[in-house]
Amino acid sequence: MSLELLLVVAFGGALVTYLLGKISAKVRDCLAVCVSLALVVLIACLYGKSIERTFYSGFLGLPLVLRVDMLSWFFAVAISALGTLCVIFSLSYIRGRENTDFYYSMMLIANAAMLGIVFSGDLISFFIFWEIMSWSTFLLISYNPAPALAAGMKYIIMSIIGSAAMLVGISSLYAKCGTLNISEVSALIASASPGYILFILIVFSIAFGIKNAVMPLHTWLPDSYAEAPSPFTAVLSGMLTRMGIYGFLLILYVIVGGVVTLNLGSGKFKFNYILAWLGAITIVIPTFIAMLQNDAKRLLAWHGIGQGGYMILGIAFGTSLGLAGGIFHTLNHAIYIVLLFMSVGAVQYRTGGERDLNSLGGLIKKMPIAFIGGLLGIAGLMGIPLTNGFVSKWLIYKTLILQGSPFLAFAALIGTWGTILSVYKFLHNMFLGQLPEKYKEVQKAPVSMQLPIIVLSLAILLFGILPGIPLKVINAIGTSLGFESLNITLWGITSESGTLNTINIFSALLVAAVLSWLLFRLGAKSVSVSQEDNYAAGAHTPADKYHYTAEFYNPLYRMIKPFLRDIVDDFYYRIGSSVQTLSNSVRRVYAGDVGYYVMYIVSFLAFLIFVQIKWKPW
Amino acid sequence: MVIKVMQIILFPVLALIVGVFFLGLARKIMARIQWRYGPPLVQPIIDIIRLFYQNSVSHGRMFDLGIVLSLAGSIVAVLFLPFGRICPLSGSGGLLVILYIMLIAPLGLALSGGQAANPNISIGISRKLILSLGYEVPLLLVLLSIMTHYKTISIIEVVNIQQSTSWSIISFPLFVSGLSYFLILPAILGIRPFDISSAPQEISSGPMVEYGGKYLALTTIEHAYVLFISIALFVNLFLGGAVNPAIFFVKMLVVFVLSVCINAIFPRFRIEQAVKYLWKWPTLLAFLGLIITMAIRS
Repeated sequence: MSLELLLVVAFGGALVTYLLGKISAKVRDCLAVCVSLALVVLIACLYGKSIERTFYSGFLGLPLVLRVDMLSWFFAVAISALGTLCVIFSLSYIRGRENTDFYYSMMLIANAAMLGIVFSGDLISFFIFWEIMSWSTFLLISYNPAPALAAGMKYIIMSIIGSAAMLVGISSLYAKCGTLNISEVSALIASASPGYILFILIVFSIAFGIKNAVMPLHTWLPDSYAEAPSPFTAVLSGMLTRMGIYGFLLILYVIVGGVVTLNLGSGKFKFNYILAWLGAITIVIPTFIAMLQNDAKRLLAWHGIGQGGYMILGIAFGTSLGLAGGIFHTLNHAIYIVLLFMSVGAVQYRTGGERDLNSLGGLIKKMPIAFIGGLLGIAGLMGIPLTNGFVSKWLIYKTLILQGSPFLAFAALIGTWGTILSVYKFLHNMFLGQLPEKYKEVQKAPVSMQLPIIVLSLAILLFGILPGIPLKVINAIGTSLGFESLNITLWGITSESGTLNTINIFSALLVAAVLSWLLFRLGAKSVSVSQEDNYAAGAHTPADKYHYTAEFYNPLYRMIKPFLRDIVDDFYYRIGSSVQTLSNSVRRVYAGDVGYYVMYIVSFLAFLIFVQIKWKPW
Repeated sequence: MVIKVMQIILFPVLALIVGVFFLGLARKIMARIQWRYGPPLVQPIIDIIRLFYQNSVSHGRMFDLGIVLSLAGSIVAVLFLPFGRICPLSGSGGLLVILYIMLIAPLGLALSGGQAANPNISIGISRKLILSLGYEVPLLLVLLSIMTHYKTISIIEVVNIQQSTSWSIISFPLFVSGLSYFLILPAILGIRPFDISSAPQEISSGPMVEYGGKYLALTTIEHAYVLFISIALFVNLFLGGAVNPAIFFVKMLVVFVLSVCINAIFPRFRIEQAVKYLWKWPTLLAFLGLIITMAIRS
């Protein structure tokens, strides 16, 4: 199985999907799903292989190389599997809208470009695929009308800044090493001076930090996540944003190498230590901002930023446990955030695009599958034991505590407790509480939406109860990057300083739940009554009922709101608007009248003559 | 193996008895402080049995399952704590797992209450969540000081080290953290002046308002477990655990009675006042404790 074929299928599939859409919508849908499924199968077949081959040798005199190893395989499988589920979810979500052919082909191109990124064996093809990904993402973010365009602009501007930084790094590497093949560069760079390596790390960190929304480079994310169509928000939040994490792994541990990266700088001012602190800040502030949100997707978007901080924290710490935690958290986060956006998407689909948490409510009986998805999703997000999020967070906490960084661990832990508040509000205001009159007739989500939700819910439990399955692969990645091997069992990690055994927790919780349920059944029977039955303790119930959760955390808001303004975003906006003012005044100069231009030329000449007469510089 | 299974079965039962006894004791002490006789010590047991036979209303499946989940979560949390030398499951992930398993119970109650959609419940849950964010800040700092000081995340290790040296509460850097923990203990237990989320006079017991019959019985049992877990955690972390259950029980009793007596004389806080208090002195102390611990370690 060659990698070229895989990319041809990915990109060709996108093109053919677009063309077929002109003929028949049904065939196009079918093809989109088939292409995505085929990619999953093709990539799964690559398991454990290590290939590196040149597929084109004439680009600016540089060979373009594709390669696969454990790291890229892991990311590729996650990308293609989640991509498939998102395409399936799109089937009914996007039906009946305008430009659906364009939507599907862009979605497939975004997925294909991500595969291209992880399979790139040299930095030029990495950059090309990176740009394809950024631009297709931009087009999809701006798919919806009005505010979406602004969100897309914000995204693409920040993305271009990142790409420019990366291009500086790539050309500098080329000047230094004379090659851009990743394995050759990594062999050559070891002899470079620490100052140069620091420069390379910083420029690449800007690029990947923007993509992964590390504070203070995060500001594109909330708008883009909120405004993109929900199935694409799922792709965006799941793996696309996490290409930043792949980039960090690539630059920190593949190109520069763990030994060099972890010894850059001195004392508390090591490069990776500063990166870890950025990660910690990225956890805490967005998590608290998320509490203040009333828009379901925006709330999740802030968590998307916050959870990215955990990954950075794990990876930057550079122990085998932390690295495993960081990579595993990337996968876990992708699973539950995709699930949560799908759950929101299903609700949006059935309620006419409503995502304001204060006007939804009580949908649990109408949309049970979406509720289960939402429940397991938030359980994973919080990291309740037996969901996947717990295991990766446990690995990260343990590293931080045992390596003597309790303050970083505190940032990570308090992030979890902040998460609880906002995600409970998220779940409660959508599915629990009172059902508004206008949603009395809401239907269940269609099957094409339920299927991905069920699959992902099961994945959360599977990886939570048997974390050994993905951890085996992650351990192989760690050892291939030169880290110590971990002692992985199917249900956790064994070590002297603390063992994790999920199967114990699982059986204990199962038995306890069965016992509690029996105790519950033993009691006298209960009568099922409607919510309004003793709502007002027998008094008259107003027809338009109170929504007591509208200002759920008001007492807390009053205390913490002054501290939680997004100062960075304001700052960027100020820069943006001053650039705009400047451009406006520059524009006035170009009046479009020939007379003005003649005047400019004459006055410039007069200025030159004046200078010559006065100072005689020439 | 058989002994271990016996422990796993007996331990939650024992914990329940202790917890229910504490419930009765708290009422008795409060009554005596207020110059009343108060109900007999076994009143909570009588109530639970009576409630199981009474009729109740349900508001849907999540309303039922939430209660079951929260009780199950409490039972599991109990199994992860060492009680004297008995520690059935504590070798499966240490303090971090305990910390997270303690989340299941309140989450279950919140989900259950959420489906009932009573305004009082919403207010109660919102207060409970804010309060828990309030006390988790110092609590997490305290737990991190413990884990950093003893260089382990296993609670059994923490107990063992204390038994071979001295209790954390009287050892140098940790007594600061211990003091902070003791200051937030009433908030964790939800007793005066931190009974904000269940304030009977204001919001009709908040999250409990829709529960009757067996629902109320099960939440009472769950509440008893919560009392047990919070105090047992304190005893294990700061008072050196114990060699046998009897001594452990005595230590728990002292801690509980102390915190009830001290706090019974305060009127109830408003939620902002509570959070302000929790984020001021206890957090400062906990922070100081962690810094000193770090300084000594390095």
